[in-house]
Amino acid sequence: MIKAKQELILKYGVPSLAIIVVAIQLYLVHFQSLNRWKGGGFGMYTEIHYIYNQIHISGVSVDSLIKDDPNMKSTLGYLMLMPNDENIRKAAELVLKTTNKDSVYLQIWKPTVNSENGIYKRILANEIHLKKSEL
Amino acid sequence: MNYWSVIKLKLKDQITLASQLLLLVLGSYVFILAEDHKLWKIPVIFLGLITGFLFRNKTKHPIIWMVFLLLLIIDLFYAYFWVANHHFMLVFMVLSVILFSYHKQGDILLKNIQLLLVIVLLVSVVQKITSNQFMSGDFYYHAINLGGLFKFLFPIFPESLEIAKMNSESLMSLKELNPNLTEHIVLKDVFPNLSFVSRVFAWFTVLFEFLAAVALLWKPKKIGTHIIFIILLFGILLTRLETGFISLLAISGLYLCKTIKLRLLYVFIILGCITLIMTKFGYH
Repeated sequence: MIKAKQELILKYGVPSLAIIVVAIQLYLVHFQSLNRWKGGGFGMYTEIHYIYNQIHISGVSVDSLIKDDPNMKSTLGYLMLMPNDENIRKAAELVLKTTNKDSVYLQIWKPTVNSENGIYKRILANEIHLKKSEL
Repeated sequence: MNYWSVIKLKLKDQITLASQLLLLVLGSYVFILAEDHKLWKIPVIFLGLITGFLFRNKTKHPIIWMVFLLLLIIDLFYAYFWVANHHFMLVFMVLSVILFSYHKQGDILLKNIQLLLVIVLLVSVVQKITSNQFMSGDFYYHAINLGGLFKFLFPIFPESLEIAKMNSESLMSLKELNPNLTEHIVLKDVFPNLSFVSRVFAWFTVLFEFLAAVALLWKPKKIGTHIIFIILLFGILLTRLETGFISLLAISGLYLCKTIKLRLLYVFIILGCITLIMTKFGYH
């Protein structure tokens, strides 16, 4: 026979775990710019997918950077998903190391749509100007 | 014994039936993801197969479920931010079933499933309410104008499909331009009054999801609750073929449902979703 305390843990243990995952995701969404589509918070279809975010690096083609470079693809992928200060710095450092440039100006843009007039434009979500000397 | 008696007999023990269907969904999902992180998955699958075949009847431990859970955890470890949201739900449901195989208390398993379902729906409502892009209708407006939702309507209205293609092309052209030039495009409506429809649909989605969550929390076994929930499932399926997620929601509904005919409807939904997942017509 299961004791009352054990029953309580068995009944609410797994749902509590789910609430912890959701709480972490909501924290990351509201304080670390995580896109609602990912991270276990069931926020799919509540904002424009992160795939529409756009990375712009002054004087560098992003397509050529990620071609045949899984590490770059992954780092820039995280930046698209969560354009916070930590991820943009990581991305800028990797771009600097890969391109051997003296400095890099990296921006991430997010789309906005106004359903009243159909205007689709991009707004700056985060940017960094990193010099090699700062590494 | 006629066919209906056979079906009724099968539907009588819904915990066993729902667990079998969950195992089927789990198997197809894990199989689709098996290629990722194979260095860790190969030994887990190999040892799982050996243990499963040799000791299946000699051990009280649910080996197959444990192996699947381990495979899901490997994906979580390596791709926490990349796996689908229902991957997390799958982990929680599998954990509940594994615990059930030890405590054998049906009411505890059903409480686990009920609360998980309510959490998923309520959190989804919270995510929507706290998203300006959703509540203003802008998200639906964007997704529908690019042909991402209600795809079944586009073959019926070829002009709308053409507009959706034009919108996508305009967006691709914009992407080629330096965003610092602050250029913009104007999306054309694929259907008339889409701005208004998107806003109404957004509010309706939130209200209906909230209604389903409250009904499942308050009266999880009532026929009315399951009718509301099944309507919600069909609504999601018509909006987009999220078959992986829907199959898990339907399995949860099956666990909680007391009515034989509604259980059968859940089984049809689940098997339909599994078929679409396996043929990659739907999303896994």
